[in-house]
Amino acid sequence: MNPIEYIHPPDQAHAIAAASAAETHVIAGGTTLVDLMRLEVIQPTAVVDVTGLPLRAIAIGADGSAMLGALVTNADVADHPEISTRFPALVEALRSGASPQIRNMATVGGNLLQRTRCPYFRDVATACNKRTPGSGCSAIGGFTRSHAVLGTSVHCIATHPSDMCVALVALEAIAHVQGPTGARAIPVEQLHTLPGDHPEIESQLRPGELIVQVELPARPFAARSRYVKVRDRASFAFALASAAAALELDGETIRQARLALGGVATKPWRAPEAEAALAGKRISRDVFARAAQLAMDGAAPQPGNAFKVELARRTIVRALERAGGLA
Amino acid sequence: MSSPPRVLAFVSRWSADREGQDAAIRAELRGLGAELVVLTHDGVWAFGPDDRIERREIDVAAVARQYHVDPECDALVVIDEHGTTRFSHRAEGGLETELATTLALAAATARSLSPALVMSRRAWLTACLIAGCSLAVLGCKARGRRSSADAPAPAPRTAREIDIALDINGVRRELRVEPRVSLLDALRERLALTGTKKGCDAGQCGAFTVLIDGRRVLSCLTLAVMAQGKAITTIEGLGRGDELHPMQAAFASHDALQCGFCTPGQICSAVGLLAEKHTKRTMTDDEIREEMSGNLCRCGAYPNIVAAIQATHKDPG
Repeated sequence: MNPIEYIHPPDQAHAIAAASAAETHVIAGGTTLVDLMRLEVIQPTAVVDVTGLPLRAIAIGADGSAMLGALVTNADVADHPEISTRFPALVEALRSGASPQIRNMATVGGNLLQRTRCPYFRDVATACNKRTPGSGCSAIGGFTRSHAVLGTSVHCIATHPSDMCVALVALEAIAHVQGPTGARAIPVEQLHTLPGDHPEIESQLRPGELIVQVELPARPFAARSRYVKVRDRASFAFALASAAAALELDGETIRQARLALGGVATKPWRAPEAEAALAGKRISRDVFARAAQLAMDGAAPQPGNAFKVELARRTIVRALERAGGLA
Repeated sequence: MSSPPRVLAFVSRWSADREGQDAAIRAELRGLGAELVVLTHDGVWAFGPDDRIERREIDVAAVARQYHVDPECDALVVIDEHGTTRFSHRAEGGLETELATTLALAAATARSLSPALVMSRRAWLTACLIAGCSLAVLGCKARGRRSSADAPAPAPRTAREIDIALDINGVRRELRVEPRVSLLDALRERLALTGTKKGCDAGQCGAFTVLIDGRRVLSCLTLAVMAQGKAITTIEGLGRGDELHPMQAAFASHDALQCGFCTPGQICSAVGLLAEKHTKRTMTDDEIREEMSGNLCRCGAYPNIVAAIQATHKDPG
């Protein structure tokens, strides 16, 4: 690991000022950053320790909404009884992610900005447009079992690794951001950017902007939400495919649905066509299968990950069945 | 993009007579492509890349400590774009008369260490011209002693260290570390607490699990500097003297290990697990396996590890 300077700002304003500098990274749980600094994939000259900021609260709104401080650990969100009742998909997603040790360290804000697990991104001996813009993509034509089939570009097929983000997209969560020019509210669905011609850009955050809170709005489908994750091992593995499904039901009729996918896309992936196809239908396996088909339209697999298209469809059906009470 | 290299000139005295040096100083700074920071007892001036001369409020003594500079003696330190010290020279005769030759020595040394350090930028040229003028304003007094270009340069230091204090197993431990040092390395390589094991050093094996404020975390992905002010418990701190912690005793009586390398991490993780699930009356074996999934055992002692945890959960000692 290269030498770093350690900055411990006394308050948010100082944190933003420090984080605005080039080659400077914010550090909280450290589970992504320390790992990637040691691999010399990320080589900041300074880290800004934001763990002293007062962003550790979980606030539950009377209307059914919730506000998560950016420094709340993944474990503390997952263990919160009100979050579990109101936003079950989020708790299922968090519990399926990483290991207990990592969940005790990783924060909400850090999870939103975690980096891809693409093995070529993590190996500085290979070409990677995300790590070194313009150097090429070793994944395309390489070993692609873990890679994305949706949202890819000719420059990058790295999968977004987060489980939490997939649930947040389905739950229409909002990231509240503070930066040098003030505050912004960004729907999590829009926070991450597609690789396109610039895989090195992964979110629309600007230099110095800090995620300070994540809002879980009160939505009629939130309590009937589920997360299903399929992986190579029983535990402590990233998703090959995952789905967060949320349904608002009127009897057996779907009033509205939300569907987001993980493990198969370059960003936490929302499937609006599938959602539209579900609205107004009676819950059934066939309806869910049709939605799953639509969700995976446009998939562009590599030879090594073509299995993911069907795997994702089945994962979607399972998540919808669980949300709808069929499984 | 990297931050530019910096030349730190610690100068105790400046006076008027510095004839003929300014052109040489400018030339050497240009060669280094560096920002010049002059630190005197009367203030700190930085000559930056954007045509600015900036007076900075800096604790000169603290900076001197950081770069291991004797505050009573003039010195010149070159920091590269990564913050690494590439050159450090103690100017016994005072820097005011030696700045140009010391810079020449710095440039030669830095060039041999890091070709990337030597760059030519127009911005730097401007800054260096300003720097030269400002040095003239500051003035200096001839001392007549110069360092020779073949003087041996001290070995470059790799980083700035900071003083930290850690609460480990109830004992306050003070140490000086670089910010990049992990808690794991601080424990093992500085404090001789080698019970915590370095497995993958990447958060994937769990051998380096310790407890911080009662919760299990990965010491390899924790910076030591960030563990200050928290109660750190390692495997060495679980028992009381010769009396084993109930979980340690259960691992021994259930033969929950073979080679033993992962065992300190397994035990810390298991202790953390029971603390986190203290309200749960029973746990199934599958629940324990899921909860212990962050700790790998290459010997495959898993069945006995689960049995040891079940025994401790039912009879916490």
